[in-house]
This record gives sequence, structure tokens and C-alpha cells, in this order.
Amino acid sequence: MIREDVPALKVEGLKKTYSNGLVALDGVSLEVGAGQFFGLLGPNGAGKTTLINSIVSLARPDSGNVKVFGKDAFAEYKEARRMIGVSPQEINLDKFLTVEESLIYHAGYYGVEKKKAKERTEELLERFALLDKRKARTSTLSGGMKRRVMFARALVHDPKILFLDEPTAGVDVELRYRLWEYVRELNRGGMTMLLTTHYLEEAEELCEEIALINGGKIAAQGTKADLKEEYGARNVEEVYLRVVGHDVA
Amino acid sequence: MTLLESAFNRSFRTLLGREILRFVRVWTQTLIPPLLTSLLYVVVFGVALGGRIREVDGVPYLQYILPGVALMSLITGAYMNTSTSVFDAKRERYIDDILISPMSDAQIALAYTLGGTLRGLIVGVGVFVVGTPFAGAGVSHPVLLLLTATTVAFTFSALGVVVGVVSARIDHVTFMTNVVIQPLAFLGGVFYSADMLPPALKLATLFNPIFYMVDAARYATLRASDTNPYPTLAIVVALAALAFAGAWWAMNRGPNLRY
Repeated sequence: MIREDVPALKVEGLKKTYSNGLVALDGVSLEVGAGQFFGLLGPNGAGKTTLINSIVSLARPDSGNVKVFGKDAFAEYKEARRMIGVSPQEINLDKFLTVEESLIYHAGYYGVEKKKAKERTEELLERFALLDKRKARTSTLSGGMKRRVMFARALVHDPKILFLDEPTAGVDVELRYRLWEYVRELNRGGMTMLLTTHYLEEAEELCEEIALINGGKIAAQGTKADLKEEYGARNVEEVYLRVVGHDVA
Repeated sequence: MTLLESAFNRSFRTLLGREILRFVRVWTQTLIPPLLTSLLYVVVFGVALGGRIREVDGVPYLQYILPGVALMSLITGAYMNTSTSVFDAKRERYIDDILISPMSDAQIALAYTLGGTLRGLIVGVGVFVVGTPFAGAGVSHPVLLLLTATTVAFTFSALGVVVGVVSARIDHVTFMTNVVIQPLAFLGGVFYSADMLPPALKLATLFNPIFYMVDAARYATLRASDTNPYPTLAIVVALAALAFAGAWWAMNRGPNLRY
């Protein structure tokens, strides 16, 4: 596994209050080491997506600092964003584009030159078994296929860190296992992973380190083993239930 | 890298290319209907009714209305392009893929705006070319006409970006088209000279920005106008700058884009 001295992601004191007064992030700080597989767990509305969106400026934090491989995510956003791939929770494919174009145009938005974008698109279409759908408009695809295109799109500009926001929500078991296998492979190749998920089994399976977020705050953080020991838990699910306040019998 | 290279970099060119691809791909909705509608205006107002209004400012009626009719199509085409493109992208959230890319908000606003400008120009030039055999007019100042047409298309395209971002529902977009843009275009002196109006209406016309745009296009085509064309052009350029500032603001601070 490739490790670098500079952390892949460093978040310090991130605060975000919505216009209705709801505090979505209440001074969140966390560090994700380069090459790490990091899980961000928490109940609905805990602030997981707001945290990811704040890093890429879809949400505007009130205060705090974010660095991506040492680059300030706000002052040096061009450099920082080039290193980030995002696979969002909700399907958001451009309905005017075909599968192939979705990848090529996305690569273009990230400044990847056309020849390289086409080569990378070929690789990813093959990898995600989308070659026979390359000319299909994204709006005509099934849910599982759309999810595969979303993954391929997040990867086409060769990011150094991948944000996977609930990647397997609504995905069948077979695709889930294939995605797990693939993200593990990417991680072994050195790509840093930040995974948010509801499926605790997924976090147990994939993540080295976990942060639990609740009410906009990091409630617990550590390696799986440390957390289990600290909370006297047998698995991540028990840690989760104890931390978010629903103790198990 | 120079500032210019940086502003018009591959990211920007890709988004502009996507905007062009979109309206070309749905050409039966974006390019053909405005050409047909304008041709109907030319036939109804110019050929059928024009016989009763022989000349305005010493110009045959059909010749007189053609630049305005072309400009009206240009305005609608430019505005509709960006307002619907941005609104759709926002509603289905695929605009997020652009907002989180390494592009600046100004680049995003400019790429959308230039896409709409191009569609407006294609439609406007198309109407002009199709109408010219009927009207039989030439162009007195081609450079001035192109400059005016481009600036006007740019203005309404940028305005479309603002409306696309600000609108919460698709009927907000169509409301702007039907209740604001179309009436202003119709009352902007496309079919008549402001001198033909009673004083109160003439005064009201002077507050209609589209009046200045139509007037500048008419001057560039026919040398016939109600106002001095050069200050008019300055007003049009100022409006374009204002509209683009709005588009930029919309990408940066507009509701429901970044929260």
C-alpha cells in the first residue's frame, strides 16, 4: 500500500449551519491518511453528505479548513478538486449524453486531454461491463447500470482520493460484491477511499479506519480494532449502536 | 499559462461543447420551430398585411420588420437555451458534476452563456437568411449587425442562466418567456416605428431594453432607426455586462446550486 507523508484529507473545525438554523456540521475535524480506506458512518442527517459536499464546495461551510493532499480545498480549489473523484448518493447522470460521452465529457471538465480521456473511458467501460451500452443514453439505463456509470465517471479523471457516498444503496448483491472487489483493488493500487455508508457490514468489510458522525460531530474515531476494544463491541455494528445512543442488550 | 489560455482551458471548452451538442442533438425542438414561427411572421405581417402598410421610414414594410423578427427569434433562442439547460441540469442534479469540477464559477457561467449565444445566433441568422428573399433587403453595416446580434444573444443567454438557476419550477422559466420576454419583444418596435405611437406609449417604449436592440439591428441592416445607433450599442453592451454579472452571481451564490 502506498503511503505518503501528506494526509490525503485534513479537515479542521468545519462548521456548517443551514439557513433554517440546523447545525449540520459542528466543528468536524478528521484526517485521512494517503492510501487509507476510511469509513464515515452515521445515521441519516448526521452530516456525512454535508461533509463531503463541503469539501468539494457544493455546500458552503461557515468556517474551518480543508486540505486535500496539502492543497487548500477553497483557495487552491482547482488543484484540490482535480485529485478528488465523487460518486454521489443520488444518481445524477446527464440525460443528454450517452454512457460513453458521460465519461469523456466528465474527463474534459477535469482537464484530461481527449486521447487520454478516450483510452481511460475504454478501460472503464470494459471494467464495468458497459461496452455494449456505450451508445445508449444514460436515461435509458437500469438503476444498476446507472450506478456503474456513476462509478466509472468518478474514476475517469484518475483521482487520488475517491468519495463514495452510499455507493451501494439500491444495488443488488452481485453488483455490491463486484464493487467491493473493485474498490479494494483501487485502494491496493494506492487510491485513498472515503466511504459513507449505512451498511455497517460494508464498513466492517472494507474500511481500516472509521469515524462515526452524529449530530454534526465526530462521536468516535479509530481503527476497527481500537473502536471494538474501546466500546467492548464484537463488531462495527455494536460500536455504531453504542456510539449513536441505541445500546444493544 | 496566460490568463486567456487559463480562462478558455479544456474544462471550459468541454462544457461549451456539451452545450452545443445538447441543442444540436435536439435540433427539431431548438432550431426548426423558431425558424418556422419567424417565417410565419414574415408571411402574415409582411406579405399578407404588409400590403396595407407600404412603407415605414421610407423602407418597404417587410424589409422594415425582418431585422426585428430575426432578433426576436435570436433573443428567444438564446434565452430558452440556457434557461432550460441550466434548469434541467439543476433539477436532475447533474449540474453538480460541473460545480465540483476544477472550473471556476465564471468559466461555468461563460460556457453556458456562449452556448446559448451560439444557438441564438444560428436561429437569428437563419431567420434573416430565410426571410431575405421575401424582403429583398441587403445589410448596410454587416459588422455592426453581427456585433449587435452577438451582444444581444449574449445578454439574453446570460439572463437565461440566471432564470435557470433561480427558478424553482419549470413554470417559472416559461413564465419569464411568456410574460416578460415575449411581450417586451413584441412591444420593442419589431413591427412598427416608435414614432407611430402616441406620446405616452412612445415614452414607455424608451424603457424597454429590447427596443434599443431592435433599433440597433435595424440601423445596421437598413440605416433606418428611431435612435442614434452608437449610444444604443453602448447601452446594449452595458446590458450584456450586467446580465453576465448576474449569471456569474447565479453560479456562485444562486439558490439551490451550492447550499
